[in-house]
Amino acid sequence: MILLDYHNVVIEETLNQPIVNLEPTVLDMTVVDFDGVAYHLSTPESKSVIKFSLIMQCYKELVQWGAQDMLQREYGPYCVPKEDGYDVTLEFDLQKLPEDKSQREELVKKLALIKRNLMAQPFERAFEQQAQFEDEKQPNPTPDLMQIHYRDQEAIYIQAQLDRVTVIFTTLFKEETDRIFGRVFLQEFVDARRRPAIQNAPQVLYSSKEPPLEIRHLPELQNTSENEDIGYVTFVLFPRHFAKGDVREKTISQIQLFRDYLHYHIKCSKAYMHSRMRARVQEFLKVLNRAKPEVPNVEKKTITGKTVIRS
Amino acid sequence: MSRLPPVIMDNGTGYTKLGFAGNNIPSFVFPTVIATRDSAGTGTSGPAMPSKPSNLLASKRGIEDLDFFIGYEALANSKTYGLHYPIRHGQIDNWDQMERFWEQSIFKYLRCEPEDHYFLMTEPPLNAPENREQTAEIMFESFNIQGLYIAVQAVLALAASWTSNKVSGQVLTGTVIDSGDGVTHVIPVAEGYVVGSSIKHIPIAGRDITYFVQQLLRDRNETSIPPEDSLKVAERIKEQFSYVCPDIVKEFKKYDQEGDKYFEKYQGIHSVTGQPYEVDVGFERFLGPEIFFNPEIASSDFLTPLPEVVDNVIQSCPIDVRRGLYKNIVLSGGSTMFKDFGKRLQRDIKRTTDARVKRSETLSGGTLKSTPIEVNVISHKKQRYAVWFGGSMLGSTPDFYRYCHTKAEYEEHGPSICRHNYVFGSMS
Repeated sequence: MILLDYHNVVIEETLNQPIVNLEPTVLDMTVVDFDGVAYHLSTPESKSVIKFSLIMQCYKELVQWGAQDMLQREYGPYCVPKEDGYDVTLEFDLQKLPEDKSQREELVKKLALIKRNLMAQPFERAFEQQAQFEDEKQPNPTPDLMQIHYRDQEAIYIQAQLDRVTVIFTTLFKEETDRIFGRVFLQEFVDARRRPAIQNAPQVLYSSKEPPLEIRHLPELQNTSENEDIGYVTFVLFPRHFAKGDVREKTISQIQLFRDYLHYHIKCSKAYMHSRMRARVQEFLKVLNRAKPEVPNVEKKTITGKTVIRS
Repeated sequence: MSRLPPVIMDNGTGYTKLGFAGNNIPSFVFPTVIATRDSAGTGTSGPAMPSKPSNLLASKRGIEDLDFFIGYEALANSKTYGLHYPIRHGQIDNWDQMERFWEQSIFKYLRCEPEDHYFLMTEPPLNAPENREQTAEIMFESFNIQGLYIAVQAVLALAASWTSNKVSGQVLTGTVIDSGDGVTHVIPVAEGYVVGSSIKHIPIAGRDITYFVQQLLRDRNETSIPPEDSLKVAERIKEQFSYVCPDIVKEFKKYDQEGDKYFEKYQGIHSVTGQPYEVDVGFERFLGPEIFFNPEIASSDFLTPLPEVVDNVIQSCPIDVRRGLYKNIVLSGGSTMFKDFGKRLQRDIKRTTDARVKRSETLSGGTLKSTPIEVNVISHKKQRYAVWFGGSMLGSTPDFYRYCHTKAEYEEHGPSICRHNYVFGSMS
């Protein structure tokens, strides 16, 4: 498993039974997703009405960039006033679901992707604005620098520019070891691009300490230059990376999981290192065991004159 | 960011139960199996090491260590991959594989960032403290988790029984009967500590019942069962129709007199031809679970009935906790789910203890009167995943975080800090 799935497996599996197979069940479940997203699935009133709530740290910011419209568009008929403490609530009445089974399967799939769809909004918007630059008939827009603070101290910045869209991730490693692994890993991105097979991949730049020019003016980043733990990863996406259709969807799906992808692989590399270390220790132990001096057979006499052979 | 729920991981020999604290059922239950590229069996050798460092960039791009599956996906890929079972007899056998197993359980299945969560893991009774250290090392060093608590499975099963209305108060004294697929354990727990010297294992569990049912069907010449499905059919019959009867002879009589009322039909579909077929289900309905109470009908080498084992276990414990142990006998695991299992067990144990009390009274010539011993077998709704559920319950209490070893503590003291985990309730 090199890439992470885009959808949430728990949600898909739990909702399959009631929504796809239309079997009413009692639910009261809290499920989490990456980056502090939490879902709450419940059937508070009756078995056949499922409430699906979601809480997300950056929801307010996403609303600015059109998350509400997306919810209306994709999940419109199910939207209800939000539950206390949550940002979005959808409600499903099992009696009122589409008749067609494949449509219901689609619905579950869509629910499992809700986090991805919410995160996709600013990207879509940036791609649209970039398209306006390309289009000669329309006036050039003033592109927003969209900030999404999706974790406590980490954020994504997205900005459309004349011929590209720049996506900047700030990364913060709590652990010294993680930082080193992370740096090696990110530098590897730069190297990897030299291989002919992936020449078309987006350009990736990595800088630590100094924020990239695009976001240097932001007040929140003024005093961070001393902080060694913070790094900046910049993706430069050209129009070919977000051509409408599958390419665009895939780009968004992958880029919004970038941080989790990075951290997953850092952890995998550590696991790999650990297994190498274990193997190495075993090897050394063998050497040590070989080096043990053989105990020579010593003959000793006791005081009574008996011979004792120690082996 | 509001605090995210702790992750509860119960890695058993057969199945792994995963989920978040506060939920009633685990989000995932899948076999503890990992499928890797290297052939099965070699096990402990670890990954191949490159013979010498080479400057070729390509040689650095090995991703073999990511090429593996866990759980049902592993079973599905068993043709091209080698299967490994990293846990043997409840204890972790291969740490390389376990680390990778956890890696995928966290990132692929639970989809959580371990750095944001506390973890509650389980261990079998009599687990070596070194194993706890190893676990802590992996969880803290590889996954950077915020905090870790390692709980004994039996204690969690006791905690899960608090949901039953038969239990008053939150006591951590009791006898846990944990019967899964492979083996049945009887574990006495006093005040949250396992009485290690008194633990007994019984080599009769779910799988043996299945085999026994299969044998019965075969002996009766149920020809409609396709041979390749016979084990699966036996398992289904066991799960759907079995129950525990109060008296085996009377039950036989009942079946003979009014068969129609008791005989059932099992309907199956042939896995190859897709043809439906029917199997009559008769005596095996009550004979299957009966092997716990009369093991001689199925096995020839283990002959002590379960109630007697439980009684022996309690009798071998310190005398001052015995009453507590009789009073709170808790069932856990899938093979204790048979209807009336608890009732029968309670009755049989009660008989033994009553007889003993009576005997001591007659021996003393009627001068000594002792209060009768209270025997309580508790079955509850959460029995199947009792261990996991107990963990989920404790993990959702605000107190949980105080019992955990945090990352800061780990860094201060090293992995040895996880050798000891506080008993729940001991700090309040």
